[in-house]
Amino acid sequence: MSLTELVPAIRMLPRADKLRLMQFLVIDLAQEEGIPLLSADAEYPIWTPLNAFDAADTLLQMLQTHQAKP
Amino acid sequence: MTTPVRFAYDDAVAGRTDGSRLAYLPITLRHATQVLAVVGLLDTGSTVNVLPYSLGLQIGLVWEHQTTPVQLTGSLARLPARGVIVSGQVASFPPVDLAFAWTQATDVPMILGQVNFFMEFDVCFFRSQAAFEVKPTGEGP
Repeated sequence: MSLTELVPAIRMLPRADKLRLMQFLVIDLAQEEGIPLLSADAEYPIWTPLNAFDAADTLLQMLQTHQAKP
Repeated sequence: MTTPVRFAYDDAVAGRTDGSRLAYLPITLRHATQVLAVVGLLDTGSTVNVLPYSLGLQIGLVWEHQTTPVQLTGSLARLPARGVIVSGQVASFPPVDLAFAWTQATDVPMILGQVNFFMEFDVCFFRSQAAFEVKPTGEGP
């Protein structure tokens, strides 16, 4: 099937399906090129404990206690 | 005045650009009679130091002996962590007490964060040269 044949069918698609088609093409091309993309279905770990203020307070108290020992 | 020691960023990840290079600091940890030469990720966004479970075991820590729970955030929040204090030495600088959140996670690098690594050491990043310099602050927490 050629692009010329596909275009009228694509034009008849609902807006949401057109967006899905675009997303499909982007992901398909990226995979062919070996370009990693983030997936909405996957979970990506963030190891950095950002804003772990309670943990920081606990460790600082431990340090003070440790360093106060004779 | 203490002269800082300069370190290079690690190598780029295979197949990735220069942007994948990170600042890993060689550091020697000591606990009781155990000595362990490791590298820690300098992570200014991390509130605390994080010790992976396997490294804690290698340095002789026993999970059941550590009684202070520590609540981490991010992906590490799912696993228990306990506070531990070990000695850390960078280059030939005097050793300092480092407090770590010892996590049960193993697939995480050792993280050197604000409490208390960056309280003990001043670090200057020269990202354009893929280098960083470290020197002791001379001040405790």
